[in-house]
Amino acid sequence: MMQTLEVKDLSKEFGGVMAVEGLSFTLEIKAGSRLGIIGPNGAGKTTTFGMISGELKPSSGIVKFAGERIDGFKPHKVCRRGIGRTFQIVRVLPELSVYEHLLTGAIARKFSFGLGVDQQREAERILKLTDLERLKDVVAKNLTTVLKKRLELATVLMTRPKLLLLDELMAGLNLVEIEETLKLLRKINEEMEIALIVVEHVMKAVMELCGRIVVLYYGEKIAEGSPREVANNEKVVEAYLGKEAKNYARS
Amino acid sequence: MKNSLREVAKAKFGIKKLMGLVILLIVLLLIPRVASNYIVYVMILAMLYAMLTVSYDLLLGYTGQLSFCHGAFYGIGAYTSALLTLKAGLPFWVALPISGMFTFVVGAGVGYPALRLRGAYFAVTTFFFGHLVYLVILNSYKLTGGPLGLRDIPPPEGFLGIDFSSMNSSYYLILVFGILMVVFLYRLVRSGIGRIFIAIREDQDFAEAIGINTAAFKVLSFSISAGLAGLVGSLFAHFFRLLHPSTFAWMTSEMVVIMTLFGGAGTLFGPILGAGIVTFVLEVMRFAPEFRYVIWAIALIVVLVFEPKGLIGIIERIGRLWRKK
Amino acid sequence: MDYLVMQIINGIVIGSVYALIALGLNLIWSITDVPDFSQGAIYVIAAYVGFFAVTWAKLPFLASIFVAMCVGAAIAFTCEKMLFRRWRGTTHHIQLLCAIALFFLMSNLAVVFWTGKAKFMPSYLSGKIPLLGFYVTYERLVVIAMAGILFGLVYFFITKTKMGKSIQAASQDKETAEMMGINIDTVNSVVFALGGALSSTAAVLTAPLYSVYPTMGDLPLLKSLVVVILGGFGSVGGVLVCGLGLGIVESLGGFYISSAYQHGYSFFVLILVLLFRPKGLFGRM
Repeated sequence: MMQTLEVKDLSKEFGGVMAVEGLSFTLEIKAGSRLGIIGPNGAGKTTTFGMISGELKPSSGIVKFAGERIDGFKPHKVCRRGIGRTFQIVRVLPELSVYEHLLTGAIARKFSFGLGVDQQREAERILKLTDLERLKDVVAKNLTTVLKKRLELATVLMTRPKLLLLDELMAGLNLVEIEETLKLLRKINEEMEIALIVVEHVMKAVMELCGRIVVLYYGEKIAEGSPREVANNEKVVEAYLGKEAKNYARS
Repeated sequence: MKNSLREVAKAKFGIKKLMGLVILLIVLLLIPRVASNYIVYVMILAMLYAMLTVSYDLLLGYTGQLSFCHGAFYGIGAYTSALLTLKAGLPFWVALPISGMFTFVVGAGVGYPALRLRGAYFAVTTFFFGHLVYLVILNSYKLTGGPLGLRDIPPPEGFLGIDFSSMNSSYYLILVFGILMVVFLYRLVRSGIGRIFIAIREDQDFAEAIGINTAAFKVLSFSISAGLAGLVGSLFAHFFRLLHPSTFAWMTSEMVVIMTLFGGAGTLFGPILGAGIVTFVLEVMRFAPEFRYVIWAIALIVVLVFEPKGLIGIIERIGRLWRKK
Repeated sequence: MDYLVMQIINGIVIGSVYALIALGLNLIWSITDVPDFSQGAIYVIAAYVGFFAVTWAKLPFLASIFVAMCVGAAIAFTCEKMLFRRWRGTTHHIQLLCAIALFFLMSNLAVVFWTGKAKFMPSYLSGKIPLLGFYVTYERLVVIAMAGILFGLVYFFITKTKMGKSIQAASQDKETAEMMGINIDTVNSVVFALGGALSSTAAVLTAPLYSVYPTMGDLPLLKSLVVVILGGFGSVGGVLVCGLGLGIVESLGGFYISSAYQHGYSFFVLILVLLFRPKGLFGRM
């Protein structure tokens, strides 16, 4: 039985403005499933994530994960169902070390009074996977933003998600860091069979990583398809560059 | 079990700290034998305050929630215990745990709605709750004696020939409870529960996003903190044997907050140190009842200017400088 | 029925006091994220200053208000510059702790210097006007009038002057405001001084009504905090409405339900509102 994330007619209103309107898409939860969500600033990308992960309650519409309706669930409940997320502005536990982060993630997933060998082993495994071993005792507040993002991701991985929502993970990264992160994400997706939904502004990353892309513009989906299809889509070009560019391209 | 405890203590604590604690323990045990009754009395007050601050540290230092009603829970425990022994005729040893549990439940009842608020909103709400409790105690003449207070509260029933109406016996009783409470909290903050509290303190939204039911755990922290304060209240009631509403007015809650932050929140031992020092300084200066608070406030501000992490922060700084030499 | 109106008027009077203190607190809180407890102590000191201005220096009442305002503003300004500024932007509880420490410090200084006995301010304006079957003293009307005038002035300041608009901008988004060239240091100083001035005025206005004593600031501070939370941040009108409303609720509750719990009614209002609207009634934050 294939598990899917189903978003149907999702909408969110903020004080009279429709941040997201009538959004629908489906994603299969399996290796190889990598969906990108792009759009100009304010298009509603982070709002969509918020509605899926539980920070926000949809004004209308449905979010279904593995056949169960999860819209309106509190974030911790959504996480327990198998959806993890990272945040646009990176969040970590500032006073804790890298290793302590992962242990906290383990406890968060499955509560226990003490910390056993299993949790330590799993923490070490994730440390290796995300290449944070050397930094395991560094206190989070002393890390650079890039490393904080990796730590955030590593911590979320400790909760054994089936689907990851990644909000602008590449923001502020240089080309080398982007390549490394892409490698890590591919590994997570293919080896750990964790589906990915990636919100990004860094086009290169999205186009290379994702098999399918959804384009949002002022809260509405204006295009969906493979990276090539989306890149050639008139409406998309217009959204990003304005009508002038379209006319210019034509002439 | 004993073996691993010692190993854990040695490994995690460091030989120096362990030695320090042992010496401290010996000193504490010897005080009633060498010091005057008055000093023993002040030590008891200091220990009671230390128990209040250490239980408060669980909520503030480890879970990151600033509340201003710890004094109210102290009072609820005190009055409950006193009334159970005075009016219901229960023995102290039964009244004590009941008071603790009752205060825990009250804490849960208040915490559940109140903790939906955050930061200063939450703080001010607890402030008011504390004040409300004070008003209830002050005005429930029939039950609590109102402004006249409760008197002739019996001391704990003795056993094995110990008479708890004596100052020294009370001292040891409170010391034992104090140690038990510190050990309990020490184990708690290092357990899985403690890690969750800390995660909530560091970033509540992130903690929530990785699957922690932050609402439930915040209430748990609040309730445990309250219940412990209730136990301390019971100890106070049966030691002092006289209760007056003014002991549990907001000033007490504020002092607990200040002592905890002054000593260094989030360290368990910082608040204990803070409580001890403040109690002693205020007691030593009791000839100038208001001026001592002025001195105390100035000292607090000076410490804060130098080290936001409080006394423990200063001690750590000195430690680092020492090691550099 | 007469009593109802009288209680409402009393409520408006005391509500005006809460509203004035709350206005200052509101501004400070929205700029610095710190509920400035020390305003409660500035309130006390200002009341004493006003008292001595009238009794020793024999100044006319309005002049003594002005003197107290200046003293209050100066104290607040100094505290901000020397203490609060150090920890600006940190999320430790340190600023709150400092505010509490200042509150303790100043309140107890008042006791040290002027003893705990209440001092009674001589009435400066005798006479009362008849209103709906009973009398309202001029002094009480002055409180309401002054509050109204000050609120109007502050509203004008906030919305029409350059500094006022800077304050608005800073309260919404500090970083952007700074990037746009607004001097956050100046904004902080102005806001603290303004808060000090408002609390001081409120204090001197109530002095003739309720006497002057060292702990007179405790409860008004608490109520004003509630008003700020209810009235929401950055909303001058909200503060006024909630301040007056709270005063009326207290007054009516104390009269009709029980005067013993008079100071507890604010709590119930707070809880009720927060349960349904966790962001306050008018709040933008």
